[in-house]
Amino acid sequence: MTEAAVRLSGVTKSFGDHTAVSGLDLEIPRATILGLLGPNGSGKTTTIRMMMAILLPDRGTVELLGGFPDFERRSRVGYLPEERGVYEKMKVLEQLVFLGEIRGMERSVVRVRAMEWLERLGLGEWAGKKVQTLSKGMQQKVQFIGTVLHNPDLLILDEPFSGLDPINQEVLESIVLEQRERGATILFSTHLMEQAERICERVCLISKSRKVLDGDLKEIKRRERSGVVAVEFEGDDAWLSRLGVAQVERVGDAHHLTLGPRIDGGGILAAAVAGGVGLRRFELLEPSLREIFVRHAGDPTEEPALRAAGGAR
Amino acid sequence: MRQVWAVLRREYVERVKTKGFIFSTVAIPVLMLGFTGFTAFMAVRAGQSERQMALVDFTGRLGEEVAGRMDAAGYGVELVEPEVGLEELDRRVLEDEIDGYVVLDELTMREGAFAYRSKDSPSRVRRALLEGNVVEAVLEIRLSLTESAAGVRELLGGNRLSFERLGDEVSEAEEISGIATGFAGVVVLYMAMLLYGAFVLRSVLDEKRNRVVEVVISAVTPGRLMLGKILGVGSMGMTQLGIWAACAALIGLLGVPLLAANLPQADLTRIVDVLPGPGVLALFLVYFLLGFFLYASLFAAVGAMCGTEEEAGQAQFPLMMLLIIPFMLQMFSLEGDAFAWIDWAALFPFFSPILMFPRAVSGSVEWWMVALSLVLMVLAVGATAWVAGRIYRVGILMQGKRPTLRELVRWVREA
Repeated sequence: MTEAAVRLSGVTKSFGDHTAVSGLDLEIPRATILGLLGPNGSGKTTTIRMMMAILLPDRGTVELLGGFPDFERRSRVGYLPEERGVYEKMKVLEQLVFLGEIRGMERSVVRVRAMEWLERLGLGEWAGKKVQTLSKGMQQKVQFIGTVLHNPDLLILDEPFSGLDPINQEVLESIVLEQRERGATILFSTHLMEQAERICERVCLISKSRKVLDGDLKEIKRRERSGVVAVEFEGDDAWLSRLGVAQVERVGDAHHLTLGPRIDGGGILAAAVAGGVGLRRFELLEPSLREIFVRHAGDPTEEPALRAAGGAR
Repeated sequence: MRQVWAVLRREYVERVKTKGFIFSTVAIPVLMLGFTGFTAFMAVRAGQSERQMALVDFTGRLGEEVAGRMDAAGYGVELVEPEVGLEELDRRVLEDEIDGYVVLDELTMREGAFAYRSKDSPSRVRRALLEGNVVEAVLEIRLSLTESAAGVRELLGGNRLSFERLGDEVSEAEEISGIATGFAGVVVLYMAMLLYGAFVLRSVLDEKRNRVVEVVISAVTPGRLMLGKILGVGSMGMTQLGIWAACAALIGLLGVPLLAANLPQADLTRIVDVLPGPGVLALFLVYFLLGFFLYASLFAAVGAMCGTEEEAGQAQFPLMMLLIIPFMLQMFSLEGDAFAWIDWAALFPFFSPILMFPRAVSGSVEWWMVALSLVLMVLAVGATAWVAGRIYRVGILMQGKRPTLRELVRWVREA
């Protein structure tokens, strides 16, 4: 099984005169975790809805687990929509049993497994309660259980972590990693760059309905040098002003020097030695995902959502 | 199949557990009990009111005696001269000028036997009253002539009143039964299709609005989801109707005789006659199921194309009209024969449950029309399910504004 878990080719979708997704190509190899990143309104949810055949693309093709996303293939997917869809009047356990049952699991089997998951996520005592009596965060966890209950080959999670406290985010992250160990492919969308950086192997950045870049995260970082050197030293910092770097920023004990056309890393090192300062640290910094994004998608002031992305939605 | 079953069970269990279901299931039998009690009370009162009866006497002495006694018992009796003739009296009965008449002759004087001629059999009360008064009158006269005791004893043998039916119509009780069952059936059918149809709409709309459907639809085909939903709500409806029917049967079979026993003068045997037979119930079930499927799939389609309660409220209006129009027609048609064309309107599948069922029960249409209406309904259920299924499939995943008619047609074509 070498084919990709998900393959989009030239996918375009418009609503009226608004183009939500434009000419998107994306391939997700099996057994990897891919983060679909972009600010609000960049087309993440539309892309995901096309993968689940909830929307059909205007142009291009969508392949899921080796073919058109029909029912057989979709039933091997665990899908968490962005909107928290639950049967509010149903009891927690019964809801999970129903979700397992429609994917062909035995009632008795799914009951036991659902109970295990509930215990694990600290919801054991809520099993017999109506879903509407749970907090939003707890409902989200119940819904998350619904997506992994049947050990799907592919998990498609739309903003799975938003609205959760850090502890629960971590629990979910560990489950995602565990599913990856099991051999499942995971795609999740988020606007939280830091989180994506933590658990993704691959990323796909989209902005204004277009793909900015995608690929292996480590490779991208290697390719996208930051152009920032962090130096820590003892002694007078007057030599810094003579360097001709584009920008000097003080971060704790370190100085972050942004390289410009007139100087590179070697030049700084040479200047430091020549200046006779006691150099304690010299590091060519890896760019953060956010920096990479900004570099490719343009001025962050045009992406207000991105700047606010550190906070909760 | 397993998926349809899972959807069906969820729908059924979740609905049957609601307070609304439990309340309405209990409330209706209580209302039935109250209504039956009220009807019985009214019937008792009506039974005491005067009914027009004639008496023709060929003996020349018995008539006055009997009429006097009947008057004393509160029943007005018109004493008719024999010269009027039995043909004339028969005519009066058939034209409903009088309820019936009693014939007293020499046989009555000898054996106490007399004839009561009417379109339907006399109630127990009237029978007992007549027999008692006639025998008493005969005794009175014969004892006054001091005959031998042996001759008088003959009078005490049974079988005095012999009933002779006039005309070949069905009995009044049967006719009332047909009309009453038909009417009750129409009301229940109308309410059931409207309410249970609205349940289907609600269920579809809720699932669409909170987006659960997007998760469910990743595993279940829209067709199976819709089928499971309709079957689930239908099963709930059957449960409720079943409980109501059982309560009605209990009230009818236990309650009425109990009431009759306590109120001996009451004319209650009729109410038992009025209860529908198994054939009528089967026919009701068939019309209910076909009608429910017909409307439920349309309600599901309406639920799928709307996004909010308000939209759904407007969009279901044409559907409600499809139910209200035959209901109004049925009310008109009770007025008389001027509305004979409604018999043909009853063949329209969307009108059939409400219009054809009462006609089938009262026997006012040919049997082949009933059969034809059922065949047409089966075809309509298939066609409606096909169209509604296509609208449903597209609609449940569609967000935003309600589709225009033109868009709907495209959904049906392209789905």
